[in-house]
Amino acid sequence: MNTRDIGYIALFAALIIALGAVPSFPIAGLPVPITLQSLGVMLAGLVLGPKRGALAPVVVIALVGIGLPVLAGGRGGIGVFVGPTAGFLFGWIPAAFVTGLLAMRLDGPGKGMVARVIGLSIAAILGGIVVLYACGIAWLAFGAKLGLGKAFFGSLAFAPGDVIKAVVAALVTLKVRDAFALERK
Amino acid sequence: MIDGIGRSGATPLHRLPTGLKLAALALVATALFFVDRPDVLVGAALVALLGLRSTGRRFREIASDLALPMTVIAALGVVDLVFVDVATAASVVPRLLALAFAAHAVTLTTTTAELTDTFERALGPFERLGLVDAGRASLTLTLALRFVPLIVEEAREIREAQAARGLGSHPIAVIVPLVVRTLVRAQVVADAIDARGFPPPRNSNNAK
Amino acid sequence: MSVIVPAGAGRGPGDPPEPPRQTILFDAVAVAREGRVALDGVTLRLAEARIGIVGLNGSGKSTLLKTIIGLVAPSAGRVTVDGLDPSAQARAVRATTGLLFQNPDNQIVFPIVADDLAFGLKNHGWSKAETRERAQAALARLGIEALAARRIHELSGGEKQLVALAGLLAVAPKTLLFDEPTSQLDLRNRNRLARLMAGLPEQLIVVAHDLDLLADFERVLVLEDGRVVFDGAAAAAIACHRERAG
Repeated sequence: MNTRDIGYIALFAALIIALGAVPSFPIAGLPVPITLQSLGVMLAGLVLGPKRGALAPVVVIALVGIGLPVLAGGRGGIGVFVGPTAGFLFGWIPAAFVTGLLAMRLDGPGKGMVARVIGLSIAAILGGIVVLYACGIAWLAFGAKLGLGKAFFGSLAFAPGDVIKAVVAALVTLKVRDAFALERK
Repeated sequence: MIDGIGRSGATPLHRLPTGLKLAALALVATALFFVDRPDVLVGAALVALLGLRSTGRRFREIASDLALPMTVIAALGVVDLVFVDVATAASVVPRLLALAFAAHAVTLTTTTAELTDTFERALGPFERLGLVDAGRASLTLTLALRFVPLIVEEAREIREAQAARGLGSHPIAVIVPLVVRTLVRAQVVADAIDARGFPPPRNSNNAK
Repeated sequence: MSVIVPAGAGRGPGDPPEPPRQTILFDAVAVAREGRVALDGVTLRLAEARIGIVGLNGSGKSTLLKTIIGLVAPSAGRVTVDGLDPSAQARAVRATTGLLFQNPDNQIVFPIVADDLAFGLKNHGWSKAETRERAQAALARLGIEALAARRIHELSGGEKQLVALAGLLAVAPKTLLFDEPTSQLDLRNRNRLARLMAGLPEQLIVVAHDLDLLADFERVLVLEDGRVVFDGAAAAAIACHRERAG
């Protein structure tokens, strides 16, 4: 870990926090508010790669833990860690990691634009949705004792929005990497 | 810079050591997980609420602090009532409320400085094993906080510039330049940190 | 303007402070960055108290400053700062040589002024007690001791520039490198910084598009495509630069 890595991780964590300042939409009856912060987590994996990508949300979560209101809607403090949706927060770490790992496999030089967009979208969907939801649903089902079925179907309501975010993250990554060459690691 | 939620004060909860409060919260959270009796859980929620009130926070302020988590908990309760049974709802809701109140009480009575100290002490053993570098870890957290307002400001500028060019605020048109600028800034900031002599020499912590 | 207290310490009372100086040598230095030649065979001996560097964008000015403190390593040739190699002995060189970045927002690491000054001092091994004292003294040198407890986020651009400079001065460098220090300042702050720079006893090497800033410098270099195309008195160098810029 050199100083540049620290810079990328810290500034991406700041970016994830800043995206939370964009209004979030709590929807009545649904347990997770829709925010752009999960888009920031997908971008961290896609742009920085698995290791640095996973450390950016680690920084955000550490800041939550020391009582700073860095989550969407000004939430923070360890109350978040014991709440029913904590899995969707801690899940950011493996989500960004898997997204980054897949991005290294599915995106690279010599691939066509369409193939790259599809590859990056798949990386963001598998990491940023499948892995994230697995963590979030497991916590809701067993931690909050909601039961697997209800946790699963309740969370599915957010999937369409998150698929759109994954595709946006893929398109953004494609253009960002044209402008700024950065090796994923 | 972002202000912490916690404030210093003189109530009994303020005076408890931070490590003790965190350990107690973890213990309570674990214990409640194994309890399903509604009467015990309601009792726990009431005790936690009184503990929270003892920090000097008024009920009205507590309600507004916890509006979002309480909405989520209420929603979960309704789901249980409709799809399962009253008994499940009667244990899920007070358990989650007790946790929310207890955790908020700890959050309100512990300053960010105290939590940061505890965090660094908790990292100590890992640092001795060579698994983490506490200096680098705390620099990373500090940098993230330092740059949040700048990135928010930058997002606003980009949005205005796009609007002036008649592009509206298409998310991709805003996020691409925002990410590129963030990466460029990360490089410059890293150079500045190196130029200022980071990392400190190994033995600098001995000097007091 | 407040009186500038010289940085020298540990000498007898009444002794005139020895002006801090270093000799920086460039020996056929070339730098290739991202497939582009940023410096192309630069040979220089820099020892004057006031050295200016002018040139168009992309002429290699910032790269030249970065090679002096080892942020960029030469791809050929050799740089030394008082005999030290900035790449291999980065810590020692960075203790005697500070770089003021173009945008102070990228240089200030901590959210509070005093904490940011403490960051640089801790990096250079000062103890906690010395740190507080030196940070206060550096702020006082620039007349901004009142800012110590302030948040960076709430400061004006001019104040941030001074805080970044105080962060460098606190470490007591012999040489200060400035990368276009006035490019983000309004006229009042620009003039304030210019007067302040004139009063600094340290050796200054200043990259600037703001040619007036260099008018009374002892020596000014003109860079073009990574080469030194003029090296001499300020007036002649500035005239040369104006002519070449077209």
